[in-house]
Amino acid sequence: MPVTGTDIWYYYICHREVWLMKHQIAPDQEDESLDLGRFISEIYYRRNKKELSFGNIVIDRVRQEDGQLVVGEVKKSSRYMKSATMQLLYYLDYLRRMGIEARGELLFPEERKKEVVEWTEEARVELERAVKEIQRILRMPVPPKPKKIQFCAKCAYREYCWAEE
Amino acid sequence: MKRTLYIFQNGELRRKDHSLYFETEGRKKYIPVENTSDIYIFGEVDVSKRFLEFASQKQIIVHYFNHYGYYVGSFYPREHLNAGHVILKQAEHYLDGRKRLNLARRFIEGSIQQMGRVLKYYRSRLEAKDVFDNVLHDFEKESLLLSDAQSVEQLMALEGHVREKYYSTFDTIIRHPDFVFEKRTKRPPHNRLNALISFGNSIVYTMCLSEIYKTYLDPRIGFLHSTNFRRFSLHLDVAEIFKPIIVDRLIFSLINKKMLVKKHFDKLTDGILLSEEGRKIFVSELEKKMQTTVQHRHLGKSVSYRRLIRLELYKIQKHLLGEKEYEPYAAKW
Repeated sequence: MPVTGTDIWYYYICHREVWLMKHQIAPDQEDESLDLGRFISEIYYRRNKKELSFGNIVIDRVRQEDGQLVVGEVKKSSRYMKSATMQLLYYLDYLRRMGIEARGELLFPEERKKEVVEWTEEARVELERAVKEIQRILRMPVPPKPKKIQFCAKCAYREYCWAEE
Repeated sequence: MKRTLYIFQNGELRRKDHSLYFETEGRKKYIPVENTSDIYIFGEVDVSKRFLEFASQKQIIVHYFNHYGYYVGSFYPREHLNAGHVILKQAEHYLDGRKRLNLARRFIEGSIQQMGRVLKYYRSRLEAKDVFDNVLHDFEKESLLLSDAQSVEQLMALEGHVREKYYSTFDTIIRHPDFVFEKRTKRPPHNRLNALISFGNSIVYTMCLSEIYKTYLDPRIGFLHSTNFRRFSLHLDVAEIFKPIIVDRLIFSLINKKMLVKKHFDKLTDGILLSEEGRKIFVSELEKKMQTTVQHRHLGKSVSYRRLIRLELYKIQKHLLGEKEYEPYAAKW
């Protein structure tokens, strides 16, 4: 099963989420933070919204700057920096393997903030490991056990994960 | 959380651009589409195909009840949540006799536990303690037999036995000459109390169905109530857990508070049913109850009764996926 950018994002937050998403078990659709995410991606950057989809990746925004391709990834908040960065690096690495050198930008419209992300050799090695790990998780017959982490508080899976007793 | 809409009047449900409205005698009432999860229709209501298309698109379920308050059926929009993995697991648990029996037993256990919870409450409040003690003692004995049951039919028989004993305490709890239990009668109910039980249960069934729609579970595959691939059955299983603490408790309180009295019932040639006025009172009190919240230990927050049903379904799904053995909800009070 091909690994997507969002899989990378989830992987750095919660392994269980990767498994559930990949098994088409989406989180609670009535959850408010999901609505917010949808809203942000629809509303911001409407003027130069150029979503690009190829292979198994979907890029939020691309533009040209000084002859170089700039790939943008829009996020609700900068709280999960590591995840967001790795996701973007995955796109950069993907493009690189196709012979395209690109720069990355993490966009946090709510915070009016922008972070530049550049491909590195270390990132490539790290991503290779992550992809292998994701594939191992996906082969598990049963989803990984829930773990209480900071992300749970706002996760649309929280009721599913913690519905017990 | 999304709301439930109950319609008792006669009229028409129509779509207008991106919203829905209910029209009655020249008056139009708009329905907040994004905020409605299901619609219960008790009145004579005409719907158009355009309305159903829009309801389907917005994932709104429509439950129909006839003139007498009997459940007619549901407009269950095309599946919007689909996960092949979950459906396969659900089917596997149905086809594997041992797995099916195990789940069916869980539902019965949950049901007996909840009936016991109701009785314990009244034992602590009423003088006739020995009545409750005897029945609770029988409950314990029957519960021990559950693990020996070799078939779903045996489980059903055990449950029927327990329920009979449970109902035998109703006269002690209610102590009202207008609401005697006698025996359980359905289609049609022969007395007022039976009319209330039937009506209440039918609404709880549809609530469970509405919640199933929001999960990956297939309502056609039940474990205790057999599948026949034509009608829904999983909601009947899940409702077993909630009928005692939701419907029965509500009935006791409606009668004790004299909110429902003799005049709220219609006598038919062969039975007795809740009148329209009675149904309105019942439904509005039930809705209040569904929205009241209880503290949920594991989630660390309070959740509504309605949400408890959803959580129960999540637990069943986790059981099917092999994550965690299903333990039915046990009210603590």
